[in-house]
Amino acid sequence: MGLDYQLVLWNKHKKTYDKIIAFSMLLYIILFAVITLVFNAETSIETLVIRAFGSLAIIMLHIILVIGPLARLNSNFLPILYNRRHLGVSMFIAALIHGGFSIFQFHALGDVNPIYSVFTSNMDYASLTNFPFQVLGFLALLILFVMASTSHDFFLGNLSAKVWKRLHMLVYVAYALIIAHVFLGAFQQETSVFTIGILVIGFVIVVSLHLITAFKEGKIDAAKAEEKEGWLKVCDISEIEEDRAKIFTVENERVAIFKYDGKLSAIHNVCKHQGGPLGEGKIIDGCITCPWHGYQYLPGNGQSPPPFTEKVATYALKLQGEMIYINPDAFNEGTEVEPCNY
Amino acid sequence: MKKNDEFYVPYIEGSLGAKTKQTLKRFTMGSFVLIIIAALLFSFSQKPFKNSSFELLNETKITGTFHESPYPMLRVEVAENTFKNILLLGFGKSSADPFLEKLQNDVKNLNGKTISIEGNLIYYNGKTLIQITDDEKVTLVNAKNTKIPEKETIGEMTLKGEIIDPKCYFGVMKPGKGKIHRSCAVRCISGGIPPVLATTDNNNMSTYYLLTDLKGNPIHKAILPFIGKPSEISGIVQKVDDWYLLKINPKNISIKSNTSLFY
Repeated sequence: MGLDYQLVLWNKHKKTYDKIIAFSMLLYIILFAVITLVFNAETSIETLVIRAFGSLAIIMLHIILVIGPLARLNSNFLPILYNRRHLGVSMFIAALIHGGFSIFQFHALGDVNPIYSVFTSNMDYASLTNFPFQVLGFLALLILFVMASTSHDFFLGNLSAKVWKRLHMLVYVAYALIIAHVFLGAFQQETSVFTIGILVIGFVIVVSLHLITAFKEGKIDAAKAEEKEGWLKVCDISEIEEDRAKIFTVENERVAIFKYDGKLSAIHNVCKHQGGPLGEGKIIDGCITCPWHGYQYLPGNGQSPPPFTEKVATYALKLQGEMIYINPDAFNEGTEVEPCNY
Repeated sequence: MKKNDEFYVPYIEGSLGAKTKQTLKRFTMGSFVLIIIAALLFSFSQKPFKNSSFELLNETKITGTFHESPYPMLRVEVAENTFKNILLLGFGKSSADPFLEKLQNDVKNLNGKTISIEGNLIYYNGKTLIQITDDEKVTLVNAKNTKIPEKETIGEMTLKGEIIDPKCYFGVMKPGKGKIHRSCAVRCISGGIPPVLATTDNNNMSTYYLLTDLKGNPIHKAILPFIGKPSEISGIVQKVDDWYLLKINPKNISIKSNTSLFY
C-alpha cells in the first residue's frame, strides 16, 4: 500500500520479476535474430525487427492472460499476478516496436498520412481472406496503449477500481483483434503448421483456463442459501479456517466472512484497490489483507487502517449454535459492526 | 481455490513461502521453455527470403540515355549493342519525377539526352532499379540526342501473376509481395512507382511486365484495388530492350483465388 504516487514502488521481488521479464525478452529476440541470420540470411533488418517483436508480443500476451485464472485456481501463483502490470507494459513495448516499424515500413513516406493509409490502403473490408488485417493490429495497439499508460495506481485511484477494471478487461478485445490480425495477415502468407499450431494451442489453453475458473467461481454464486426470518444460512463455524474467510454470495454480491480471535466479521469481498478477492485473503496483524497486493481493512468496520482511506461495505452476522447467519442488507462502506463472538 | 498456509504479502519480508517459491520457479522455467520453443518455431518457419538487394548505404553513379517508355529509365550499354534499362525511382514511395524536374526544366526535353545519376541501386533476377534521393545528383552529361529504344509489339496475351511495386519487390522489402506487403505496394504505386505484373511459369521462371493503359501512358490509381493479389490480365505485350510492357484496361483484370503459383 502507498499514500503517495511514485512511478514504481520498487522492492526486491519487483526487481527480480523485472529482471526475468527483461532476460526473457532479450533471450527471445537474440534467439530469433541469430537463427534467422544464420539460416535465412537474406532477410532484411526491418522484417527481422517486425517479426521478432510481433511474435514476442503475442507470446507474452498469452503468458499474461493465463496468470489471472492460474492465480484464481492456485494461490501459489499470486506473486506473479502481483506484478503483472510490468509484464503488460513490457508486452506493449514489444507490440509498439512491431506496430511502429510496420506502420513506418508499409505506410510512411507515401502520398498520404501513414495512419490514414493503415485504414484505406486496403479497402477489402467485406472479404475475409483479403481483409485489411493491419487495421485490426492498429486497433489492438491502441487498446494496449490505453492499458499500458493507465497501468499505475494514480489512474487506478482516480478512475475508480470499477472503471479501471472495465478498461483493463479490454485486453480480451485486444487479444481477439490480435489473433484475427495474425490469422488474416501473416498466416495468409507465412503458412507454417508449427506457428499456426502454437497459437491454436495457446488460444485453447487461454480459453480453457478461463472457462474452468468461471465454472468453479460460478458454483459459489449459484449456491442457494436457506433463509430464516430475513437471515441467510452460511455455514458451520468449523468450515472456516482461523484467520481465513468463506466467500458467500448475497443479493448478487460476494461477501467475505472472516474467522479470527474467536470472532466473526463480514465485509464486501471486493478490494477497493484493484478488485481483488478479499475472501481469499488472510488476517495479518488484525487486518484483512488482500491476496493480490496486500491492501488491508479492519474486519470490524471495513476501513483501511489510518492513514489509508479505503472503505468497503460491512454486513451483520449472527450465530445459532455453530451455524453462521448473515443479514443480506449491506451497511454503508466503513460502517462499524460489532463482531460476532463464538 | 487451492489454498495453502503460505500467504505472500509484497511488503512483508519473508512472506514468500517455500511452496510458492517452487511454483514460481516452475512457472519461470516453463516460460523460458515456451520462449525458446516459440523463438525456434517462429524463426525456423519463415519462408526463404529472396537474394534481392537494396544498397541503402551505398550510392552508385550510372550514366546512360534517359527515356520515358512511359516510365523514366536510363538506358545503359552493358556490352557492345547490349543494353540494360534501369528503372528510375524517387525517395520513399514516390516516383522519380520530382528529382528529374529541375533538369527537365533546364533541358526542355530530356528524352534521348545522356545523363548521370547517383543513387541507391536495387537489383534482383536480372532487373536493376535506382533510387534518386537528391536532384543535385542528376546531371546532364551530353545534350546531344541519342537514339532511344523502340517498342516492339509482340501481341495480345493473357497473363497470370501479381501486380507488385518493383521498388519493394526487387530489393527494398522482404517479402515485397503478397498480402503482408499489399498496403505498401498500394502506397508505392499510388505515389508514382511504376506498377509491374510479376508472373511465374511452371519452371519457376519469372517474367516482369511494366503496366500501362491502352494508350501506353502510365497507370497508377486505376489498378490500386488489384495490387498484391493473384490476378489474370489480358493486354498487348510490347518489348523495350530488356523490359516488357503490358498495355491493359484495368476492367480486364480478374482476381483469382489464393492458389496462385506466386503465393
